[in-house]
Amino acid sequence: MPNPPTHATTAEVTAIDTQARGPLLLLLGSGLVWLVVSGVLALLTSIQLHAPQFLADCPQLTHGRAQALRETAFVYGWLANAGLGLALWILARLGGRPLRGLNWVVAGSLFWNAGVALGLVGIAIGDMTSFGLLQMPRYVQPLLVFAYACMGVSGVLAWSGRREDAMYASQWYAVAAIFLFPWLLIAAQAVLLWMPVRGVVQPIAATWFAQGVWALWLAPLALAVVYYIVPKISGRIIPVYEWASLGFWTLLFIGSWSGGRHLVGGPVPAWIPTMAVVAQSMMLFHYLIILLNLRAIWGVGGTTAAFIRFGFVAYLVFGVAEFIASFRGVAAHTHFTLFNAAIEQLGLYGAISMIFFGGIYFAVPRLTGLAWASASLISGHRWLVLAGVVISIAALGIAGGAQGEGLLDPKVSFPDMFGRMSTPLLINTAAQAVLLSANLLLLVNFLRSACPWTRTAEPTPTLFRAATEEAHAS
Amino acid sequence: MKNGPFLFTGVFLAILISFSALVLGSHSQLGGLTPYHDDTEGGSFPQRTSGLAARGQLVYADLGCAACHTQQVRRPGYGSDKDRGWGERQSVARDYIHQARPQLGASRLGPDLTNLGARQKSEEALLGLLYHGSATHPGYSFLFETRAIAGESSPRAVKVAGQAAGHETVPTERARALVAYLLSLNTSYDYPEAKPYEPAKKEEAKK
Repeated sequence: MPNPPTHATTAEVTAIDTQARGPLLLLLGSGLVWLVVSGVLALLTSIQLHAPQFLADCPQLTHGRAQALRETAFVYGWLANAGLGLALWILARLGGRPLRGLNWVVAGSLFWNAGVALGLVGIAIGDMTSFGLLQMPRYVQPLLVFAYACMGVSGVLAWSGRREDAMYASQWYAVAAIFLFPWLLIAAQAVLLWMPVRGVVQPIAATWFAQGVWALWLAPLALAVVYYIVPKISGRIIPVYEWASLGFWTLLFIGSWSGGRHLVGGPVPAWIPTMAVVAQSMMLFHYLIILLNLRAIWGVGGTTAAFIRFGFVAYLVFGVAEFIASFRGVAAHTHFTLFNAAIEQLGLYGAISMIFFGGIYFAVPRLTGLAWASASLISGHRWLVLAGVVISIAALGIAGGAQGEGLLDPKVSFPDMFGRMSTPLLINTAAQAVLLSANLLLLVNFLRSACPWTRTAEPTPTLFRAATEEAHAS
Repeated sequence: MKNGPFLFTGVFLAILISFSALVLGSHSQLGGLTPYHDDTEGGSFPQRTSGLAARGQLVYADLGCAACHTQQVRRPGYGSDKDRGWGERQSVARDYIHQARPQLGASRLGPDLTNLGARQKSEEALLGLLYHGSATHPGYSFLFETRAIAGESSPRAVKVAGQAAGHETVPTERARALVAYLLSLNTSYDYPEAKPYEPAKKEEAKK
């Protein structure tokens, strides 16, 4: 079966790829290891939802700590490493020059991974900060900023040293994400950890940060990948490209305003959740533009296209779901429920992670100069992860619906509410197990494809195709 | 887009504006809130928590209790917070000014705890729940220790089925602090801003 975009012939692999091979594979590989770690934690936290006594006597893994561990490993371990690896690669390729400062990338990624590991230990022993997406203890935070800066320097150098002045949309998104995240992190650390603001300004600042992580970092990283890969695999130029910059600026200027939807009805000034409704509705403009720009993804075959397409649709659906959930009438049903966990799963797993999977399937053969080691592992990962993501989002959504109805009715006790949620929660646990096994397949395939001692042992490329459609649009 | 400095300035402005408006804006609005002094009650509200309860809040935070419990009551009529007995009034920003790290929470897999101390007076019941758990609550036995009874048994010992004779299971310092904190949670004092605006009734308006 032809499966075009997972393979790169040697003709496509340039000096830019071979020179950056080691550092970028290090980033992508460490991301995948963290993905498996967070998968184990996700399975564990999901079991705890229907069996509260599971590991309850283990102080390191109370449900609250395990949730913080899962979220941290997922966002700072998997998404950060994979996103940076892909963004640096794209910036180098579009800049037309080999990456500079690669030693800094290697040092930065080692420090970053050490920082995340230390952060997880800190959370497990009870030093978590209790701010969502900023759970790692205070003593790890400066290391994270330093490590990120080391890696980011290479991206900014690739961007500023580009061959041509003109920039592609992919470059805007990649360079904005790389440049903005340290500022976001430093600002959040300053007002939450080093000089904490008072009272409820803390949750407001924490919500601003969490929304910024999405709108100013993860979403731009994912869109950089989509804007780069879609023209390459579809062989078509981007339609209505002149609107792309409006979509970009809408995301950057409006996207980070919409976190207030998580504070609706809370002890915060009413303008904060109101502003979130306004921002979410303005963000629809952003989703419309990228839909127009990237619609060429439909009608393209292959593994990379399948992942990118799924992630892209999930990104759009996530935008609409956030918009609807920001209304007070809707939030009365969904606020404080697992419905928000379903939306988070849709955004972080369904959209960002699936896009990164597509990016990894596209980039790794071009970095190694050889095809993926196993086509059956690719296929296994693809179907398992698709099933796991869809089922987990649906199960969490249904559980959240039952929880919302239960919470609204004061006659329903918590045991009754959990009784109504038990079936979808069990299904979610099964989906998490499927996701974990899927990602183990990807990790094994990655290690077999990327490790120097196994690379040469691959005489015939898997998923071969002729290199005819690659030359354009780069 | 060709202009690099333009791009850089733009993305930096994007983060600067949202940070200034949302974080610094709400800080300037709420950062200066002071306790409300009530002459008739002869004190200021909210009141500061005791040392043991303040340590208990750290235990609450480090165990991650906020993953399942909120500490924010929504206004009567929005959600069922009042009907469930979680609070007579909505929580307001002033409730949190003495808290080093407010634990608003974002998930209600368990009940809201804003006013737990007002409805739950029994230390024994809370210690029992923490040790044994329930159908929906984990039992955190690591917050307790089993020891030989020296002299009189402790009044705080929890009942454990099949306990060896001459031994008792008692809460550790952390468990006692956590329970002291939970029992201190009470925001029943009515601030002026916590009373929802009620339009004057028609009859009064006619007069």
